[in-house]
Amino acid sequence: MQGTIIENLSGKKLSVLVVLLIIAQIVCFLIGGLVAPRPASSQNILGTPCRDIRINGSEPGGGKWFYSRGKGSCIPVRFEEFDNHHQAFQVVYVFQMPIPRANEVLDYSRWQQNLIGVLQVDITYHSQMEIAPKTKITLDARLAYRNKGDPDDAWKPYGASVVERILECSIDTNMEQYIYNCSTVPLFELGSLYHDYYLLNIRLPADTEKNINQGLGHITDLWLTVINQNGGFTKVWVSLKTIYFPIVLCILVWHWRRVNMLSRAPALLEYMLLALGSALTFLNMPLEYMTLAFDMPFMLLLGDIRQGVFYATLLSFWLVFAGEHLMIQEGEQRNTLKCYWRHLSAVGVGCLSLFMFDMCERGVQLRNPFYSIWVTEIGTKLALSFIILAGVSAGIYLLFLTYMIWKVFMNISAKRAALPSMSSARRLHYEGVIYRFKFLMITTLLCASLTVIGFILGQVAEGQWKWDEDIELEMTSAFFTGVYGMWNIYILALLCLYAPSHKQWPIEPSENSVSDEIEFARLPTDPNEMLSLTAFARKSAME
Amino acid sequence: MLMQEVQWPWPMGDHRAPSWLAHEDYSTGRYVYAPRHVLPRHCRAYQEQVKMALCTWLLFLMRIYLALAASTASGTWINVGYQKFPQLEAMRALEVYEVGASPVCTGLKGLSQGQGKLCQLSQDHMPSVARGAKAGIAECQHQFRDRRWNCSTVDDGTVFGPVLGIASRETAFVHAVAAAGVVYSVSRACRDGQLSSCGCSRSGRPRDLNREWIWGGCGDNLEYGYKFTQAFVDVRERERSFKRGSREQGRSLMNLHNNEAGRRAVIKRSKVTCKCHGVSGSCSLITCWQQLASFREIGDYLLDKYDGATEVRVNRRGRLSIRDPRYTLPTANDLVYLDDSPNYCLRNLTIGSLGTQGRVCNRTSAGMDGCNLLCCGRGYNTQKTTIRERCECKFHWCCFVECKTCVRNVDIHTCK
Repeated sequence: MQGTIIENLSGKKLSVLVVLLIIAQIVCFLIGGLVAPRPASSQNILGTPCRDIRINGSEPGGGKWFYSRGKGSCIPVRFEEFDNHHQAFQVVYVFQMPIPRANEVLDYSRWQQNLIGVLQVDITYHSQMEIAPKTKITLDARLAYRNKGDPDDAWKPYGASVVERILECSIDTNMEQYIYNCSTVPLFELGSLYHDYYLLNIRLPADTEKNINQGLGHITDLWLTVINQNGGFTKVWVSLKTIYFPIVLCILVWHWRRVNMLSRAPALLEYMLLALGSALTFLNMPLEYMTLAFDMPFMLLLGDIRQGVFYATLLSFWLVFAGEHLMIQEGEQRNTLKCYWRHLSAVGVGCLSLFMFDMCERGVQLRNPFYSIWVTEIGTKLALSFIILAGVSAGIYLLFLTYMIWKVFMNISAKRAALPSMSSARRLHYEGVIYRFKFLMITTLLCASLTVIGFILGQVAEGQWKWDEDIELEMTSAFFTGVYGMWNIYILALLCLYAPSHKQWPIEPSENSVSDEIEFARLPTDPNEMLSLTAFARKSAME
Repeated sequence: MLMQEVQWPWPMGDHRAPSWLAHEDYSTGRYVYAPRHVLPRHCRAYQEQVKMALCTWLLFLMRIYLALAASTASGTWINVGYQKFPQLEAMRALEVYEVGASPVCTGLKGLSQGQGKLCQLSQDHMPSVARGAKAGIAECQHQFRDRRWNCSTVDDGTVFGPVLGIASRETAFVHAVAAAGVVYSVSRACRDGQLSSCGCSRSGRPRDLNREWIWGGCGDNLEYGYKFTQAFVDVRERERSFKRGSREQGRSLMNLHNNEAGRRAVIKRSKVTCKCHGVSGSCSLITCWQQLASFREIGDYLLDKYDGATEVRVNRRGRLSIRDPRYTLPTANDLVYLDDSPNYCLRNLTIGSLGTQGRVCNRTSAGMDGCNLLCCGRGYNTQKTTIRERCECKFHWCCFVECKTCVRNVDIHTCK
């Protein structure tokens, strides 16, 4: 009879394969750590207050842009020189990105993928005018872009919105001239960095009647931090994808051809493997190359969806994998996904709620880059409920999975107790099967825990904010490429080792080989190509 | 006798300290960045960031040693922030920086020879330096407004008069706050985008800057401000050679230490802010940056350091050691001084003391601003006056503050 490759692989070959995969894993980690720069970098830009010459507070025309560098740049206002007759709409905070360095005008590259803007408001403390811990701030934000070769004043509008944000400010020591500790305000997210230069004009409209921007206190500075993905990181990332994409695709095709060559219909586990492989291929697709030529603002959202689909499939696969090895099925009843609907609904609900949240946040940002779900009361509640729902689903899923794995191990140890009474050849065989099943379980656990540990370590390292100038290893990038490589290798290994094997069961030469053969003949051999683990399970259930 | 030396490199004290902070070996007067074995690389980095190689600098300094052209510049560089220099004001408006010989630096009184050279190499930085020095002076005057020495200035290019000639706590504070001012103002100017020559990455200026920036982004501007200030302020102490263990060398070491303390104060008081931007905005990806505190906060921090300054002396090996072994070793963030402060109670122009006669004091305070301490026990005069002041203010964005006027009857006490 035939089994999967993992059961027929000799220990030596298996260990060689494992060593190769581990080496590949280490290479992935090192590529991230040594070649790639940090995943993202930021520029901190101090807003230049410029003076708008308009007398009345009418809507500024779309063509009027204020910029701080280049021909026709505005003359910055110094607030000490400002007399009391100016209106709020006449002060425009200008942020021109990126900032030049070393006397060179830098420009954004499409390799840098995305841009996230975070606003910080410096409010000086005056005992005469304290501000509330939570203040609503209204911003009239306009974003424009320009490309290389355009004249300095040829800014074209990208997006504009009057947005409200909540400023949470506190101060530890109530001292004059100190700056309030204000929370950062997420301002905009661009899913594509298609153009070369961007310009942000912010006004703080004031209206005494409508109580807009009245309780703001003494704003001294506006800071904008723009975070973009590093081009080097994108390059390394896309190269990894370019390498993995064809490999996984080939193995997937090979695996599926092998499954189809069997005389029986594919089993549930094989369908799950196919789904997993497809999800990984979807994730691996180097779509980032397209962003170099086309404006694809939906890439952030698409990236989230791709990761979501992959992890949903992976989580479902684990459930089914554990369930299919419960060794309690009887007869020829074939398992379908329906048997797992309770377990899988946890995955489904969790992923769906995260998807909804993502659509509400990043989906809307496709239309309005300044949109944020977190600013309104209802939006915050909605977002929180989505996230809580996802968290609860994750908890339920974990419970299900642990319970099932525990059951599998209980069954295995129960069967193991029966092993000594078996003949040596069968015993060796079952021990091998159990060993390899456990081996895979341990690999899975190892991969999952490595991901979690890496994630936590990354968080701790970042949280302490090291200026790791002299440490050449970029931990965050190494974590990302390491984890990415790990799941690729993990699934490659699954696809290879769980493909149906051509080999026959190795029969150990033994003195009472006749009785062994008789015993083997008693094994349920039709359909003789069923997954041997399931066969093993069924057979042991018979015993 | 038990003697503890001020240790180099400094014990960092906290892991937040950026690794680009200088570790210096005062005995040899050499710059050593951490870790020590990567000096050449940092040399290059340094070169690019301030447009001047440290390596070249060492050569340059050696040339100076050889020529024994000890700087005779009187006064202090802080003067650029005190005196009005029209060329600096004009630069702010024009933003035209021409590299090369230009009249910007020639008129700047107070710069030492090395500082003059640096000025010429990075003229566009000079308005920021001036602004920083100005902020330092203003902060000093704010912090010392209630003290016997109130950071009074004189108009002769020395800014603070003969006070800076004494290696006292006050001198330590002035050096620190001025250095802090320059770090602050240069970093700010970089972030403003108006000072376009700020460096980019730690590996120095690459052949293709744009490519480097696309590959891995640029370093923090605070680092740039720190390094520029280090080059600009410290060069003064490095262009002269002293006999090991001499008083002059001690003075030079003290200034270097206090300059460093000032620069670090800016970094120490800056806050780290982070933003999560991973999948669905989760914290799987997090980016952090440094946020500058207000300069007042930095001044308060330095005043704390002033109050806790350590008295040191220079030993025969040319290193600083603490006078009283009972005290703990000063770290790089602490201020050190060699001599006790002179008596600022009485007017003595040779030491730069204006005396406290006529100063307003607070009758009820037990602190330095209390009449007892401020007037040095000479007593005070009391005068009744009515003052009008703004109160219950409301700030209306953007441009005006609405206040009521309050009238108070107060007693004003002035020292006899």
